[in-house]
Amino acid sequence: MLKQEFLNALRKGLNGLPQADIEERITFYGEMIDDRIEEGRSEEEAVKEIGTVEAVVQQIVEETPLTRIVKEKIKPKRKMRAWEIVLIVLGFPVWFSLLAAAGAVLLSLYIVLWVLVLVLWVIEIAFWVCAVALLVAGVGLLISGETPAGLCALGAALLLAGLSIFLFFGCIAACKGAVKLTKKIAIGVKNLFVGKERTK
Amino acid sequence: MDIQLKRGLLDVCVLAAIKNEDSYGYKIIKDLKPYVELSESTLYTILKRLEAASMLTVRTAEHDGRLRKYYHITETGHRRLEEFKSEWKEIISIYQFVTKGDGVC
Repeated sequence: MLKQEFLNALRKGLNGLPQADIEERITFYGEMIDDRIEEGRSEEEAVKEIGTVEAVVQQIVEETPLTRIVKEKIKPKRKMRAWEIVLIVLGFPVWFSLLAAAGAVLLSLYIVLWVLVLVLWVIEIAFWVCAVALLVAGVGLLISGETPAGLCALGAALLLAGLSIFLFFGCIAACKGAVKLTKKIAIGVKNLFVGKERTK
Repeated sequence: MDIQLKRGLLDVCVLAAIKNEDSYGYKIIKDLKPYVELSESTLYTILKRLEAASMLTVRTAEHDGRLRKYYHITETGHRRLEEFKSEWKEIISIYQFVTKGDGVC
């Protein structure tokens, strides 16, 4: 791949970021390639050393804050005409409620994810509480001479304690998974905005 | 390595690469190569961060018929390097405490 092809592909891939950011990146990578060529490398080699366009774009997207991308996205590309503004104002009850509903649905899906994690913790705590209660009950039963019932309660207490230890690791893993998923969602949302052809 | 720690270290590395004379992107990467592998994208982010913290300034100069950006360390940047040196003394003494009796030192 030649320098110009690389830079063109990069520009296309970064479409959706603020224009000034894109230009600065292009200048930066262009200079990097030129300096390598100056050192005696062929143009193709120089470009290859920078890495693939996809990898570069991905890293840039991950580093750019979501707010910056969204801000660029909602910035009007041209001045709005009077009738468009009137339409937006008149349509407010419709588009606002639809937008709010969509946002609420997405938010509740995300909350569900964390509720699942929370449920696991609640079960974990319930196991512990039951284990302790059964232990006390078992000891009590043994003292009052109810040996079989007491042994049964003690056994159940041990079983629950064991299960809760297992579940504890499951809870930790679920928490980590949810955090990881959150990061992935953030990157996914950014990718929705960046790199797509701008339709005029 | 801890990501926060590494980020701080990379910032200091880039400052150190320009502390004696102004340098440009590719030269910084080359100069740091024996010590730390730095990708273009990572360097870009670091340079931006240091510029925002006014630890360096950027100027564009002509070189061989094209433009090149040169990075110049500021007083704040120098101060950060000095700060790092004294911080590091602290870290080394903590390290020595941690490894005491390990037979490492």
